[in-house]
Amino acid sequence: MKKKGLRFYAGIYFRILAQDLKSKMSYRADFIISTIGMIFTNISGFVSFWILFRSFPSVNGWSYHEMLFLYGFSLVSLTPVQCLFDNNWSLRQYVYSGDFIKYCFRPINLFFYYQSEVFDIKGLGQLAFGIGTIAYSWGKIGLAFTPLMLIKLIVFLMTASLIMIALQNAGAATCFWIQNSFYVLDLAFRFKDYAKYPITIFSPVFRFIFTFLIPIAFIAYYPSLVILRPDQVPLLSWLSPLVGIVFFWLSYKLWMYGATKYSGTGS
Amino acid sequence: MAPIIEIRNVTKEFKVLERREGLWGSVRDLFSRNYKTVRAVDSVSMTIEQGEIVGYLGPNGAGKSTTIKMMTGVLEPTSGQILVGGNIPYKNRTKNAQEIGVVFGQRSQLWWALPLVESFKLLRDIYQIPEKNYQEMLALYQSLVDIEPLLHKPVRQMSLGQRTLSDILAAFLHDPKIVFLDEPTIGLDVSMKAKIRTLIHALNREKKTTVILTTHDMGDVDALCRRIVIIDKGKMLYDNDIDHLKSFFGSYRTLKIRVEGGLKAQAEKIQGELPEFPVTADDEWISILVDEDKAKVIDVLGKLQSSYEIRDMKLEEISSEDVIKKIYEEGVQ
Repeated sequence: MKKKGLRFYAGIYFRILAQDLKSKMSYRADFIISTIGMIFTNISGFVSFWILFRSFPSVNGWSYHEMLFLYGFSLVSLTPVQCLFDNNWSLRQYVYSGDFIKYCFRPINLFFYYQSEVFDIKGLGQLAFGIGTIAYSWGKIGLAFTPLMLIKLIVFLMTASLIMIALQNAGAATCFWIQNSFYVLDLAFRFKDYAKYPITIFSPVFRFIFTFLIPIAFIAYYPSLVILRPDQVPLLSWLSPLVGIVFFWLSYKLWMYGATKYSGTGS
Repeated sequence: MAPIIEIRNVTKEFKVLERREGLWGSVRDLFSRNYKTVRAVDSVSMTIEQGEIVGYLGPNGAGKSTTIKMMTGVLEPTSGQILVGGNIPYKNRTKNAQEIGVVFGQRSQLWWALPLVESFKLLRDIYQIPEKNYQEMLALYQSLVDIEPLLHKPVRQMSLGQRTLSDILAAFLHDPKIVFLDEPTIGLDVSMKAKIRTLIHALNREKKTTVILTTHDMGDVDALCRRIVIIDKGKMLYDNDIDHLKSFFGSYRTLKIRVEGGLKAQAEKIQGELPEFPVTADDEWISILVDEDKAKVIDVLGKLQSSYEIRDMKLEEISSEDVIKKIYEEGVQ
């Protein structure tokens, strides 16, 4: 048996992905309707943002375009969790019904195998919309466009994604211990809504919670400070890539620990 | 040659919450919990050689699934040793997975939306099956069952029978040393059952694959297994040849006769003459359960013929189903 490295896993992933897309596209009506739905979800999200900011030209010193940047940033950073880790939402049913056991019999990483099964194509629309929003607000704010800025943007987008993925993994993994863990996962996922706002608008208590306990401030706020407020970047912003990696690793360990404790229902 | 599976004094205990009754009981459960330890598998030992087909039987809740889960590495035994192909399954789950194939009756492990052939190609990549072996396996499958029409059908659109067949083929694809089949023929029609039995038998013969089969269908056992292992309440009751099992219990045969006169009344009379054998009667037949260690059926028949007008008779062998039922109910004495 050959060693199973990154290339092996990437190969498997793309094979599953290609097949999955092929089978999804063979249902044309389904495909078209979900594409339309995806466009409307994004438009309505933006419209409610726009209505809100027509009445408040600035929030706590953050201008409309800076808020828009934050909004776009959170959209893009939520794309990986939406596209690649969507199967976490079904974990509860698999565990409850005992069907999760089928993932335990393959000679590959359990976490990878489970997540590889679903690729949610709807996230791609969100990605396009988010990139558009970032580009637009970038120009309006008058930020310089240098390679360094681009690298910063990409690194901090990845950081933000990792934290979101970590939150969702941890939320989903609770189902290995709790019967009805939907609320935990839902709660974890709802926190993302707060990620769109500058953390300074919250009271100190929530600021503390969102920074140290449920680190959603790292999803958009701390990373985007690096780009929007280069002269007043707190230490926490520079720490956020590390925080992202650590949280992702912890959530992965928790997920795997839960999965190995899992024993399945009788059959 | 070293045995492919070695299980020594394996015990698995679960902690289960003892729930109190009623709403108030549930509230109390929130604050103080009573756990009790349930022994699902109780010091089971067995040795299985490469190429055997072993029927693993027992009533529902006997501990079959738990044993299988321990052998596949999903569960860790509480105590005792398991070696599967030289691996400790729980410690080397992925390594063990490379050597085994698993089919759980109604739970398909194939990719739901994909045509079967795409699932096969994915499995070829996951198990790193050399292309030559993969093509040979497909050719073998084609010669055993006509898989061509199934290959391009999404698993989701298959009938239960086709899906089970596909799952079995998928489990054998990487030429594993052992295949675990958990109730493979459950819910299938007679012809599909026969097809699947033939397939399992042929694959076992061709590839020398060890097969561990759990089932409640004695047809599967009679068609496939030379050896059976029976467990109940976690304890092993029987581990031997199926022929031995029959001779063990099978000295019993049922003699059925039809005589002149009311069957019920005649049966009582016969019972008086043959006190050592139980005699029963239904609307059609008088049944006499003859223990052949005590008297030959032919002698019993001869004795009856001298005093009764026998119009019709038949002889029934005890079936493996009856034997197993007897063991479940009474155990092995």
